[in-house]
Amino acid sequence: MASYKPTNIPVYPKLGEKVTEETLYWKNYKTPIQIKEFGAVSNIHFSPVTPYNFAVTAFTRIHLYGLLSQEPVKTFTRFKDTAYCGRFRSDGQLLVAGCEDSVVRLFDVSGKVALRMFKGHTKAVHVTDFTSDRYQILTGSDDYTCCLWDIPNSAQLNTYQEHTDYIRCGVTSQLNRDLFVTGSYDHSLKVFDARVDKSVMTINHGHPVESLLLYPSEGLLVSAGGRYVRVWDLLKGGQPLVSLKNHHKTVTCLALSSNGQRLLSGSLDRHVKVYNTTSYKVVHNFDYPAAILSLALAPEDESIVVGMTNSILSIKHRKPSEEAKETAGHQRRRPSYRVYAHRKSYVPKQDDYLVSKPVRQHLAKYDKQLKKFNVSKALDTALETWIRGRKPEITVAVIRELDRRGTLKNALAGRDEQELSRLLSFLIANLVDARFAPVLITAAEMILDIYQSIIGQSPVVDKQLLHLQSLLERELDYQKDLLEVLGMLDTMFASSLPKIELPCSGISTSNGLPQGQSTASRPQILAA
Amino acid sequence: MASDGGSSSLQLPCVFSPKSRQYLAVCAQDGRLRIWNTDSKTINQEYVPSAHLSATCTCIAWGPCRTVKEGPQRKKRKSEAVQVEEKADLLAMGTAAGSVLLYSTAKGTLHCSLDEAHSAGVNCVHWHPEDSVLYSGSDDTNIVEWDLQSGKMRSKWKADRAAVTSLCVSPDGKLLLSAGHVIKMWDLDTKELYRKFTGHSTAVTTLRFATTRPPDSNGLYFVSGAAHDRLISVWQVREDGKDKNSVVSFTLTDEPRHVDLVPSNSKEEAVRLAVVCQDGQLHLFEHFLNGPCKKPFSPSCSVQMADTRESPMPIPMLAAVLGRDSRSVLLAYGNHLQPVIEQVEVNTTERHVCLSRDVKTSLSLTMESTVSKVKTPVVNTKSKVLVPGLPGHQAPLKGSHLEKASEKRKKDTKEMSIAEQLGEIDLSATSSEKVKASLQTDNYAVLLVQGLESNDADILNKVLQTRKEMVIKKTVARLPLSAVLPLVKELTNRLQGHPFAGILMVRWLKAVLMHHTSYLASLPDLVTELGVLYHMIESRVKMFHKLTKLHGKLYLLMTHVATSDSSNMVSEVDHTAKLVYEDESSDENEASGDEVLPEEDSDHWEEEEGMEEDKQSSEEEDEGNRTEPKANGEEDMEHENESEEE
Repeated sequence: MASYKPTNIPVYPKLGEKVTEETLYWKNYKTPIQIKEFGAVSNIHFSPVTPYNFAVTAFTRIHLYGLLSQEPVKTFTRFKDTAYCGRFRSDGQLLVAGCEDSVVRLFDVSGKVALRMFKGHTKAVHVTDFTSDRYQILTGSDDYTCCLWDIPNSAQLNTYQEHTDYIRCGVTSQLNRDLFVTGSYDHSLKVFDARVDKSVMTINHGHPVESLLLYPSEGLLVSAGGRYVRVWDLLKGGQPLVSLKNHHKTVTCLALSSNGQRLLSGSLDRHVKVYNTTSYKVVHNFDYPAAILSLALAPEDESIVVGMTNSILSIKHRKPSEEAKETAGHQRRRPSYRVYAHRKSYVPKQDDYLVSKPVRQHLAKYDKQLKKFNVSKALDTALETWIRGRKPEITVAVIRELDRRGTLKNALAGRDEQELSRLLSFLIANLVDARFAPVLITAAEMILDIYQSIIGQSPVVDKQLLHLQSLLERELDYQKDLLEVLGMLDTMFASSLPKIELPCSGISTSNGLPQGQSTASRPQILAA
Repeated sequence: MASDGGSSSLQLPCVFSPKSRQYLAVCAQDGRLRIWNTDSKTINQEYVPSAHLSATCTCIAWGPCRTVKEGPQRKKRKSEAVQVEEKADLLAMGTAAGSVLLYSTAKGTLHCSLDEAHSAGVNCVHWHPEDSVLYSGSDDTNIVEWDLQSGKMRSKWKADRAAVTSLCVSPDGKLLLSAGHVIKMWDLDTKELYRKFTGHSTAVTTLRFATTRPPDSNGLYFVSGAAHDRLISVWQVREDGKDKNSVVSFTLTDEPRHVDLVPSNSKEEAVRLAVVCQDGQLHLFEHFLNGPCKKPFSPSCSVQMADTRESPMPIPMLAAVLGRDSRSVLLAYGNHLQPVIEQVEVNTTERHVCLSRDVKTSLSLTMESTVSKVKTPVVNTKSKVLVPGLPGHQAPLKGSHLEKASEKRKKDTKEMSIAEQLGEIDLSATSSEKVKASLQTDNYAVLLVQGLESNDADILNKVLQTRKEMVIKKTVARLPLSAVLPLVKELTNRLQGHPFAGILMVRWLKAVLMHHTSYLASLPDLVTELGVLYHMIESRVKMFHKLTKLHGKLYLLMTHVATSDSSNMVSEVDHTAKLVYEDESSDENEASGDEVLPEEDSDHWEEEEGMEEDKQSSEEEDEGNRTEPKANGEEDMEHENESEEE
């Protein structure tokens, strides 16, 4: 028994925008939650341990937010002036922050008052970090020095005065407790070893360095400054690996996705770019309303937190994945699942004869109508507002199916003013779409044939027809222009091809090439 | 910290003279002090401090009125009465350089200058109500007491660890309030700290005493407002010293900018408060001060002001003072350069009042009429008015443009992006000549390159939606070669879609192809680079033929409708009869219309059959024509033709 075959809805590719795994992955975030802070958000740092709170440094405060909370779970306010660079220790117990008044403060995450105050810098401290052995603190200041401090007795262990300008970024190695890197406005990055009292490597970034990032393997170092993001190979003595220029204003912050496959950079031009770390191509782009100062990714990329100059903190959470949704769905249907569990879990043995149960076909509304040969109704259902607006390809596919059956005229005929105007508005919206044009032009011609006698009776329809006419006029003008461009392109192809002298497989199918080759002699003659 | 400084620098002082409210002293962006007469609404005096650009005026305070006959004194300023009574109304101005200037409105000149006491900018000045003593607080954390008889510093003491941002002397003249982040109360006789009030986390900008009762009666109250704080706090000075927290708070919509207060003299009298906020709204409060109240009070009446345009924009208020009765308020609003002063009766029974005023006309009127009348005792004609915050390259523009720009900036203090600035230039230079145009395209090219680099949709939209052919051409000509291919790719994306948008993109594409022909042709992988574009165009123009036909059909029908419409006055029978005639005429019409359309059709037919004959009027050479048929996808024919040709 031949069953009804549902209407085939062709999938039309859209040119230009390639939908890749990446875009799907990075688009899969909810609309951002925006939180107003007290001032420009200068730093965001995620706690390395559960529950993955993050510290947001803005103006004179550091707020701790829970991963899903919209209210700060804790606030550190004991700063005399603007605070900078609030960072967690690797066990998530301690938090260190610098301040405009040159004092570095160490907090217990559960406490309120600073446990230690490290005084010794003479100017604002913009960089603070813990070393990997957890007992020391690295600081970098606007007085051009960076220091190592001992936490237990809050003593200054070592001071390095090698930079010749403000130190605004620095990271410590997570593998070696003695290694750290600082970046300064004097355009240079310096790698220090605490066992030696001077820098072991100097790299010139070429612009004031705003942010630094070490790969988990620590073979690669990423620096951001000016409009450039640069990647350096530390194992080869600081050899430049890649230089990326994808922002049109200063890049201010860097982050690495949890699996280390993607690099994110945020900039004053209000964009966050996502790079693939194998090809270093931009794979995705986020837009934000204001210049971005800080950026952080939650573990497993669960959320993207961005701090901006207009003191707004924007948190984007990842949508729950498809599997999670499915399991939720299963739970709801559990009773029936239990009843039929044995049937589904039964694995056929070798001798069993399998009788497959016919799968019940679910037909869309328009298919049901088509099956019943209610052509007008089928078209009506396909013209419902939702389908018409969101999925015009369904409507077009139904029209094509009707046309194939030769019943399109019947379906279009006998409509009142309202229905006709609905049809016409659909035509106006989609007629110029190159994907739908072939089908819709036939339909439009039919409509004109059928309804030409009533033109002039309804002002609504007349108005729409006039609209359609002007649209066609524009489209024709446009296509004429396009034809001219096509001519130019042909010329260009023709003049460029003889130099290659081998057909390019890319587009040998329809255009350019056959003619190009055959006309190859022509330009030369002209030239001669 | 930067934002803090920015906002405080925006706060330009604007103060009404005490008691009679006859004058309004405003220090505008240009650093000049202007004194407006509130009765005649005109400029009374203008004073340019010698260092008005480097050391801008940060605060103004009117000295207490000490003359008995105020009226006649001001009306006849040059009469003998003035000369006899030397106690003129003095105005103290603190400057960012750390000096305090005393200006005499009666003499119309600088009375004296008090220097060499502060090492940093003065934040606040306050007069003692009775004695000729002035207090000033500064960024250098000190308070200085000036003896105005001698013009010398009388005493100086360190008041706070941070800058002193606000001062206030109690009505009885015995206590002084000073504030940085912490409010301190000093005994003026001994200069000792009397009380300390903590609670504000940001710099306190406003301090006012709310009652006139002595401090030991539990009845002394004062109010305070701080930067970035949308509250006015009321503090009680209690006898027992247990005055840790504010007793009452009033909510505002934004940070307070100007506060006026009618103090209460007894418990039965309510305190009236008028607060102008940063966002330009005025809030009126009325409250009986009798002990603490936990809940913050919302204003008894909020007043906004809007202009009378079609889409009303708010007009910011600058200052407000309360009148004798509870309903009248004297307002100053608009622009610091030309404030409008108005006595308003506010209907306090309604919670929100919006007043609409036509500021534009009144602004220009006052300017025209006043400038000529201004009596400026000290006018430095060489000094140029510089309005801060304007980009330098706009300077050569005309004065009117400047004015407009400054007004515009005032209205939306939002930071302008490059694109918006460009747009502004575009607007103001519509009647400009070629020099400007070239400048503009230069910027457009830079902008376009930036947009392509960061793939910023806003910038690209702004640039690519230009309609001017000239601009497009110049921009493309200035485009660096590295940006050409990204631009072509961007255009390819934008070409699909609606023809209205597409037409603009085609112009760009054509310009690119024209200007960079040789570069593009020299690309080794040209075909792969432009293949997508080629495919897209080809698939789009495939339906050209059918669309043209459809258009013809529609055109025919619609002309019929048009003609029948024009003759629909005639009766039914006549109508049909006339149609017969009109058919001929409309045939002509139609033919004339068809001349355009079928021409294209016939072109194509010709192209398909014998292409050597067709001479389309395109500026391209043979190749151009030869490639035309490909658009119709008639490859077989072409091959034949070409083989013939060869």
